[in-house]
Amino acid sequence: MAIGVLFGDLVKALFTKPATQNYPFTKTIAPERLRGKLVYDPEKCVGCMLCMKDCPSNAIELLTVDKINKKFVMRYHPDRCVFCAQCVQLCRFNCLNMSNSLWEMASTTKEAFEVYYGREEDIAFLLERAAQPGINEPPCE
Amino acid sequence: MNLSLHPLILLLIFPGGLFLMNIGLLYEWADRKLVARFQSRVGPRWFQPFADTIKLLAKEEIIPNGVHKIMFLALPIIALTGALTAAQYIPMFGFEASFSFEGDLIVVLYMLSMMTLSIGLAGANTLSRFTIIGATRALTQMFSYEAPFLLALLSPAIAAGTWNIGKINTFTGENIWLILAQPIGFIVAVVGLMGKLELPPFDAPEAETEIVAGALTEYSGRGLALFHIGKNVELVIGLTLVVIFYLGGIANPIEFILKSAGLFLVVTALQSMFARLRIDQTVGLWWRLGALMGLLQLLAIIFGRYLGEILR
Amino acid sequence: MTEAKKEKFIVPIGPQHPALKEPGNFEFTVDGEIVTDAAVRLGFVHRGIEKACENRNYTQDLYLLERVCGICSHVHATAFVLGVEKLAGVQAPPRAEAIRVLAAELERIHSHLLWFGVAAHEAGFDTLFMYTWRDREVVMDILETLSGSRVHYSVNILGGVKIDVDQKLSDLIKKDMDFLEERTEYYMKVVTTDDTFLGRTRGIGTLSKDRAKLLGAVGPTARASGVKRDIRVNAPYSGYKEFPVKMVIDQTGDLEARFVVRLKELYESYRLIREILEKIQPGEITTRIKRKIPEGEVISRVEAPRGELFYYIKSNGTEMPDRVKVRTPSLCNWGTITDVAVGHKLADMPMLLAGIDPCFSCNDRMVEIRSDSQPSQMMNWDGLRKYGIEYYR
Repeated sequence: MAIGVLFGDLVKALFTKPATQNYPFTKTIAPERLRGKLVYDPEKCVGCMLCMKDCPSNAIELLTVDKINKKFVMRYHPDRCVFCAQCVQLCRFNCLNMSNSLWEMASTTKEAFEVYYGREEDIAFLLERAAQPGINEPPCE
Repeated sequence: MNLSLHPLILLLIFPGGLFLMNIGLLYEWADRKLVARFQSRVGPRWFQPFADTIKLLAKEEIIPNGVHKIMFLALPIIALTGALTAAQYIPMFGFEASFSFEGDLIVVLYMLSMMTLSIGLAGANTLSRFTIIGATRALTQMFSYEAPFLLALLSPAIAAGTWNIGKINTFTGENIWLILAQPIGFIVAVVGLMGKLELPPFDAPEAETEIVAGALTEYSGRGLALFHIGKNVELVIGLTLVVIFYLGGIANPIEFILKSAGLFLVVTALQSMFARLRIDQTVGLWWRLGALMGLLQLLAIIFGRYLGEILR
Repeated sequence: MTEAKKEKFIVPIGPQHPALKEPGNFEFTVDGEIVTDAAVRLGFVHRGIEKACENRNYTQDLYLLERVCGICSHVHATAFVLGVEKLAGVQAPPRAEAIRVLAAELERIHSHLLWFGVAAHEAGFDTLFMYTWRDREVVMDILETLSGSRVHYSVNILGGVKIDVDQKLSDLIKKDMDFLEERTEYYMKVVTTDDTFLGRTRGIGTLSKDRAKLLGAVGPTARASGVKRDIRVNAPYSGYKEFPVKMVIDQTGDLEARFVVRLKELYESYRLIREILEKIQPGEITTRIKRKIPEGEVISRVEAPRGELFYYIKSNGTEMPDRVKVRTPSLCNWGTITDVAVGHKLADMPMLLAGIDPCFSCNDRMVEIRSDSQPSQMMNWDGLRKYGIEYYR
C-alpha cells in the first residue's frame, strides 16, 4: 500500500533526455537484416519465375526479353510489396536481396512505385515496345 | 506595487483580458511540456496552445440539433467572463489588485465556480449521452471539492483576520510562510485546485477513454476555444491564489514567476503520478478526507486565534 | 415518470471511440453510473481472409495469415506452418523449432507490454503507459534486429525458419532481457502497491473459475481465474517440447490478477529466452517441403499471447488449401465481458474491455448465434453470392 510509487521514475525522466527520436533530423542506423526495398541483379537471374509465382502480393513481375540469352527485366512494385522476403528465400542464385538502407519510400507520385530492374538496354527496349501503339508488352510467362 | 491605469485598460488589456488570456495559454504550454517531460516525451513547442486556439477560433462552430441555441452560444462566454472577472480582484503578477473590497475572496471563489457550472449546463444542454454523463460527473465533482477547497482558503483568511485578498497578501508576505504553519491546508488547497481544474487524476468528468470529451464533446470551434481559454485563465488564477495564501504572498513579478513555477512543478508531478480516480472515489476522497482535513485546519486556526486573544 | 423509467439510457462505446483504437461496438445500458446490461457487436473488420486463403498457394497463405493480427503475427504463421507440416509429414529441424519458440516468446513480451500500456491508459494512468511503451521499444528493436521487421517478422517458412541466431545477437538479446526484467519488476511493484491503480483494478471484474470455464475463456483471462489452460503446457508443440514453460496461475480472477498473471508470464518468457539462447543446438534451419500438400485435414493449436489459437486446415492435394478456419483467442473471451460487466460502474468498462486484451482484427469472422425461435440457415457459395447481389441491389 503506497501512493506515488512512480515518483522516482518521474524525477529521473525530468532530468534525462526524452525517449522520443527526432526522426527526420536524426536517423538511427537500420539493423543489418532490415527488410527494405527489393534489389535485383539481372546478371545472375536465370528466369525460374519462382519469385513471381510465390509472391504473396503480386509485387514482382518478371518480363522476358530474350529467354535464350537470359535477358530479363523485373518490374517491381514497392507499394504492393509486403516485405516478407519470401522471394529472397526462394532465389537460388542470390540475384534478389532486400536492402537495409532503402526503406524510406514515401512519394507524392505513383511513378515512384513502379521500379524497373535490369540491363539498361533491355529496359529501354521494353519501354519502347510498350510505347508503340497497338503492341502490348511481352506476356509474362 | 501599484498600477495607476485607466480602468478600461485594466479590464481589457492588462492585467485582465488579453494579457491574462495569453498568460493562460502559456501556462497550458508549461503544463503540457512538464507533463511530457515527466513522461519522458518531448512535448509541444511554446506556440502550440496559441496555434490550437487560433485554429479553433477560426473554425466553423457547429450547433448540434436539439440544443437551446442561445444557451449553447452564451455559456462559453459566461465561463470565460467568470474567470476573467475573478482575476480583477487578485493581485496578479505582483501588482495590486485592480479592484478590491472587503470580502472579495468569496466573490472570487464564486466566479471561479461559474466555469464548472457553465460546463455542467453546456453538457446538459446537448443531447449526446457522453455530454450528459460528463455534465453529471462535472457537477458531482464540483459539489465534492468545493467545500474542502473553500475551507482550505478560509483558514489563511481567518489567520489574517480579513476577507480581502490584497490584505491577505500583505499579511502572508510579512509573516512566516503559511505552508509551514498550515501544511494540511496547503495540501487540501493544491489537490482541491486540481479537482477544480479537472486535471488528472481528477479528470473523470472528461475521461477520454470513457466518455470521449465529457460535457464539451459537442462543442467545436469558437465555443471550445473560449472554454479552453477560460480553463487556462482559471489555472493561472488558481495557482496565484494558492501562492498568495500559502507560499508567502507575492510582492513583485519576479517573486510571482518563481513561486508559481515551483507550485506548477508540484502540480504537474501530481498530475502524472496517479491513475484516474473514478467519480465515486473522488467524492469519497473529498468528503471523507478532504473536508475533514480542511475542517480540522480551520478549527485549529480558530482555536489558535482564540488562545492568542486570551493570552494577550 | 413511469414513461421515462422505461427508457433505457444506453452508452455506446465504439465503433469509433477514444477508448478502443479498433472498431467494435459495445452498448452499455446504464442506470446513473451503474451498468445494468451489456451487449457486444463485432465484425466491423471482416476482411475475408479465410476465403482469400483458398485462392492462394500455401506459401502465400503463410504471409496472408500472418496479417490476421498485427500484434501476434508470428503465432498465426506458426499455427499455420505447424498444421501444413503435419499434413505434409515433414518435421522442421530442432534448431528451427527453437528459433520459432524464441520469436514467439519475444512476441509475447512485446504483446504483453503493449497490453500493459493500453490498460494503464484506459485507467487514466498515462505516465505508466508512456513508460511501458518506451521500454517496449527495446523488445521491438530486438525483433527488428533478429528478423528484419518490427511488426510482421516473417520468421517462418514452410519446413523451417528464415533467420538464424549468432553469438553476437544472442549476447545482445540477453543484455536486453536483463534490462526488461528489471523494468518488469518495477512495474510489478507499481501494479501491486500503487493505491490509485489498485483502486481501479482490485476486486473489479471478478470472474470466478466456474464462470470462466463455462464461458470458455482462454489465455491469461482464464489463467487469472484459476483455470489451467495453456497450450504450451497442456499440449506442447514445436520447440516447447524441448523447452518447457511453467504455467502462471492466479486464483482471484479480478483485473489485478490479470495484470499479475501477464507480468509473471513476462518473467517466464525472459527465463525461456535465456534458456533457448544457452541451449540451442547448431544445425540446419530448413527442410525441403513439396509444393503440393497431400490430401487430408489437420487441427493445429498454439498459445498466442491472448490465449489459445486454433487452426483447421483442409488440403485437397493441390498447391492451394481447400479450407482454412481460424479461431482466434479474443473471440472466446468476449463472453466474459458481457457476463462480468453488469453491476460495475461505467468508468470500469474501458478497463474491463482492456482486461481481456481484445484484438479486434482477430474478430474477422462470422458468428452463428443459435436460438430456438429462428432456425439457422445453411447456404452454399452460389446461394450466398446471389443473396449478396440481391441484398445490395
